[in-house]
Amino acid sequence: MQIKTEIQMYNNKQWLSSMWASAWLFMGLRFTRIVCAMARISSGIPLLGLRSLNACRGHRSSQTLRASFHRASSLALTSSQITVTDEPDTLFQKVSVLVKGHDRSVLDSYEFFATMAAKELGITLGNVFESPKDVLRLTLLKSIHIFKKHRVQYEMRTHYRCLELFHLTGSTAQVYLEYIQRNLPEGVAMEVSKIAVAKVPEHILQPMWEEPTADNAPSPTADLKG
Amino acid sequence: MAAHTTKICLSLGRINGPSFGQYASLNRATYATALSTSNFTGNKGGPDRGGRGAFVRRPRREPGEPRTEKMDSQQDWSAVYPSAASFRPGSVPLPVRMGYPVKGGVPSEKRGNLELIKIPNFLHLTPAAIKKHCEALKPFCTEWPAGLDSDADLDKHLPIRVETTDYVSAGPSVRNPAARVVTLRVRLSSLNLDEHAREKMLKLLGDRYCKDTDILTITTDSCPLKQQNTDYAMYLLTVLYHEAWKTEAWESEMTRADRREYIWEDSASQQNVLDTLARMAAPVPGEGVGEGEAPPREELLARPEVQQYRDSVTQLKNEGESEGATLRYREAVKKLLSL
Repeated sequence: MQIKTEIQMYNNKQWLSSMWASAWLFMGLRFTRIVCAMARISSGIPLLGLRSLNACRGHRSSQTLRASFHRASSLALTSSQITVTDEPDTLFQKVSVLVKGHDRSVLDSYEFFATMAAKELGITLGNVFESPKDVLRLTLLKSIHIFKKHRVQYEMRTHYRCLELFHLTGSTAQVYLEYIQRNLPEGVAMEVSKIAVAKVPEHILQPMWEEPTADNAPSPTADLKG
Repeated sequence: MAAHTTKICLSLGRINGPSFGQYASLNRATYATALSTSNFTGNKGGPDRGGRGAFVRRPRREPGEPRTEKMDSQQDWSAVYPSAASFRPGSVPLPVRMGYPVKGGVPSEKRGNLELIKIPNFLHLTPAAIKKHCEALKPFCTEWPAGLDSDADLDKHLPIRVETTDYVSAGPSVRNPAARVVTLRVRLSSLNLDEHAREKMLKLLGDRYCKDTDILTITTDSCPLKQQNTDYAMYLLTVLYHEAWKTEAWESEMTRADRREYIWEDSASQQNVLDTLARMAAPVPGEGVGEGEAPPREELLARPEVQQYRDSVTQLKNEGESEGATLRYREAVKKLLSL
């Protein structure tokens, strides 16, 4: 799997050099991996399918990356669906996955699957807990006409399970969530709550007005820049 | 065929069991939900067609032995169940039973068991299969940057938090209108604000600011799309920030009543305290202090009991009356008046 190794190495190299430059300069040089074909995963056969994105590769890669890709492509490997771009990866402090279903045993199995998948992909798993179930009860008349004393009761039980994952990158979150959601059993719903972290944008670092003069009464519109 | 009949005989507890075709009718208790597993042999000898070109139904082939008999225990299970599929009793070599048992009985076996077919199964997600999938997915994941392992680092470098929610469910539509809500949180201490800007910002924010955690929360849901709402939240933050730094002409007309918090300095309470202390001190001529001349203001204000009184009054006014606050005020007054 030479392409992947080279991409890993390139990423690591870039990443290390930027880390030494400053603690947060890496933000400008994070790489996004685009997941091109998930179909191959569900079919259970690795490395199938050729939806090539050569167009993407050409535009967004940097010089050195192109060189390594040229080298790699000359080895004539059948596929690498990985495209490494220059746009910065989003970072998620926390991703919280809440699954709801009517059957507790189904949620048990799903929790086992999701926790194992997280461990295999190297994602930090936080708390995995079960919220108390919600029961919706209806009391209806048993008969279509009269017989008020005889009723029938129905209930709908909703069970919950919550997984908390910490410190995920955008690519990893996308991969993990897509994998989890494609294998969501029938009759189970999911809510994913993500907390993304970001820098303070440049336009909020400094006020855009000029320094107030000694007169202490600048007109509001005088100093507006574009 | 012989083996199949034998199995049926064992389950019925009889040696001379009935023939295959009459199995369903002779069973003591059958479930209404059980799928029909018998083939109707009655049709073969059915209504006599007589001489009109006797229509003979194509002879039905006997089903062979189920695949479970031929399965190897070391087989690749992900080839049997590569993706989600309903339960097939002939493909799952497990003696599974499911269903509420009849009185004195056991749950029904897997053949023809609708309960097993209805419930979602995870046969395609065995640990071996999950490992395989994750191996294939690993190259698409990226690592978390090493310099941001603790929350303190995150707060320092990346103080803005944007919270969004996605919903996945089955229904007539995949859209969920609640998915457009975006919540932006940021600590005011991480923004570049001076005294005046901070005060003005707090006045502008009102309820959106939490004093205990110093976090400003902006929740937007007025736009139909999530991206639009995130942009709007960032826009609001930008506008708030720049407006806070602006000093308008009418801000100079601010009175004590307009202030967000009570400040003891230059207040009536401070004046009262100074007057009281001056009158208390006046009859006692101090050394180097002329008769009738009170000690200087700064010296009075620097006294610890005056400081304590100042703190207690500020707490009462800003945080409201509570038992502890009132007691503190009482202690401070007693000390001040040397009671």
